[in-house]
Amino acid sequence: MRRETRNDALWKFGSYIFLLTITALVLIPIYWMLVAATIPQSEFFSWPPRLLPGLHYLQNFQALQESVDFIRSIGNSLIIAVSYTALSLVLCSMAGFAFAKYEFRFKEPLFYAILATLVLPIQLLIIPLFLLITQIGWTNSYLAVILPWAANPLGIFLMRQNMKAIPDALLESARMDGATEFQLYYKIALPTMIPSLSALAIILFLNQWQAFLYPLIVLQEEKMFTIPIALAQLVGQQRVNFDQVMVATSLAIIPIFLMFIFLQQYFIKGILSGSVKQ
Amino acid sequence: MATIDITKLRKEFGDEGEQIVAVEDLDLTIEDGEFMVFVGPSGCGKTTTLRCVAGLEDVSSGSIEFDGVDVTDQRARERNVAMVFQNYALYPHMTVRKNIGFPLRLSTKQSSDEIDERVEEIATLLGIESLLDDKPKELSGGQQQRVALGRAIIRDPEVFLMDEPLSNLDAKLRSVMRTELQELQQELDVTTAYVTHDQVEAMAMGDRIAILNEGRLQQVGDANEVYRSPTNEFVAGFIGSPSINLVTAEVDGDTLVGPGNFEYVLDDVSWVDGRSRVRVGVRPEDMHLVEDGAGSMPSEVTVVEHMGNENFLYARMGEVDLTARVPSKMRPPEGSRVRFDFDEEDLYLFDVDTQESVKTKTGETDVGYEQYVHNSV
Ligand SMILES: Nc1ncnc2c1ncn2[C@@H]1O[C@H](COP(=O)(O)OP(=O)(O)O)[C@@H](O)[C@H]1O
Ligand SMILES: [Mg+2]
Repeated sequence: MRRETRNDALWKFGSYIFLLTITALVLIPIYWMLVAATIPQSEFFSWPPRLLPGLHYLQNFQALQESVDFIRSIGNSLIIAVSYTALSLVLCSMAGFAFAKYEFRFKEPLFYAILATLVLPIQLLIIPLFLLITQIGWTNSYLAVILPWAANPLGIFLMRQNMKAIPDALLESARMDGATEFQLYYKIALPTMIPSLSALAIILFLNQWQAFLYPLIVLQEEKMFTIPIALAQLVGQQRVNFDQVMVATSLAIIPIFLMFIFLQQYFIKGILSGSVKQ
Repeated sequence: MATIDITKLRKEFGDEGEQIVAVEDLDLTIEDGEFMVFVGPSGCGKTTTLRCVAGLEDVSSGSIEFDGVDVTDQRARERNVAMVFQNYALYPHMTVRKNIGFPLRLSTKQSSDEIDERVEEIATLLGIESLLDDKPKELSGGQQQRVALGRAIIRDPEVFLMDEPLSNLDAKLRSVMRTELQELQQELDVTTAYVTHDQVEAMAMGDRIAILNEGRLQQVGDANEVYRSPTNEFVAGFIGSPSINLVTAEVDGDTLVGPGNFEYVLDDVSWVDGRSRVRVGVRPEDMHLVEDGAGSMPSEVTVVEHMGNENFLYARMGEVDLTARVPSKMRPPEGSRVRFDFDEEDLYLFDVDTQESVKTKTGETDVGYEQYVHNSV
């Protein structure tokens, strides 16, 4: 017994050392970003490097706002990422529910076809998509960015896998209680899937938040720029405005950060427990 | 409330080629307000039958009528049927209050105040009013069971279906809930179809019992009928615990001769007219120990189980295992040789090939209680 406890303690100690190292490795660049956002560009390459933040944040931000309308970009990014995430959650959960809980013709081939699209590189789709978007006249619109990727194959896959865990008896019981098929989805499937929906929301939001190549092609007017495109404007041929880039990125990570903190309370394990007695 | 008419119900699973016939040509009427228990071994089609009545399963052929209205093609939610599932199937994300009120919120135009009032009424009836704000996972098995019941009765269904609702409870709670369920059913007077694999439960609860085997209905009748007058060997073997003892015997004039020197002389030979062999059945409770030299079943005791109020004797007669229930003071040592006998009125005979009943219990029932009945209100 004693020996085992001692081993456990050692193991725990080792794990903490390991985790702390990883955390430090992740945090150092973020810390440097924050420091660099608060000092003038001239001090950026000074040696030894600055370790403490300076007082130049607001000046840097003003410079950024003069180079490119960054506040507007944040707005654009928020509108696009939020509506994309919402729409995609609806579509993925509906498709996942159907694939997990209904029988229909060509179900298997259809599902594998959707999975197969995961291996298509985005570069392959960009040209045809661009042509399509131009033809229907959607260039420089939010819809052009949101719609083509809304039915996310990874999301459909994740929702299907998770929804398979909903006991059939639960759905049948709701049917007996008088629920329509849509009510099954809306009143039973969705609420029990909140943990997976939260996880998926973060993935989707993050994907859209940092999307660069495709938005760059369909959004050509500056007033439509998203954050990654705005950032790209700061990188000139001769000169990179590091101070402005760092201010911009320090702002860009805030929504992701908030979203994670807000949603993590829903990653509670075992929300399905206690539904059916095993 | 409704009368349920099931006509030629058939349900197959699987594709062409490798079909499983889960229910085969089932004809049955469940009377208005009746408590009908479906019983049979695992896989005999009880659940499938219930699910067809519920509308959760499409039938392959045949029809189901509620009060003369054909509901065969109606969906579950159009049928006004409530069901209690074996594992309760409570909605995990809703409180007990929400769980019980769920059917009403879906199916009626009642205001949420009215619904809440009704939920509390039901909860009081079931003794769970203090749990209304708990989530299902915080409840014990028996409490979950009550919530499931509450959810089923709240909208006054025409038909009440239950699939082994007590099988997840421990023995003690099971017998408590058994009585409660019966009382509830009588009070609500709802036509009920109840599935169990436990024949004791079936006998105890059912107004009538429907015994199924391999997808086919074997017999329908009240507890007394299926116990005393089983239609065939399967029913005789399934009903009663411990099971009936069965022996194949040759008919020699008025005597039945079987393995291990089994010999039984019939008073009434007409039972075996024209038969050379017959299956003989005797229930354990009808076997009694007799003195040496008498009796028809000479056997060797292998195991004695002391139940307190009685003893189970397991014995071998030639190649055949026998079980007998004897008074608790009779405990012959294991390995000893004993002789059993039984009365002819308690004898069952079955056809060797078809397994249909030839003779079942013939003794009188309802004898000699008049002197104990006091009609003083
Ligand atoms: N969904 C299904 N698909 C295929 N076979 C099934 C299905 N449901 C039941 N069966 C088969 O039908 C038969 C009867 O099953 P069931 O009604 O569940 O029996 P019981 O409830 O009496 O134990 C069994 O052989 C079972 O394997
Ligand atoms: Mg079953």
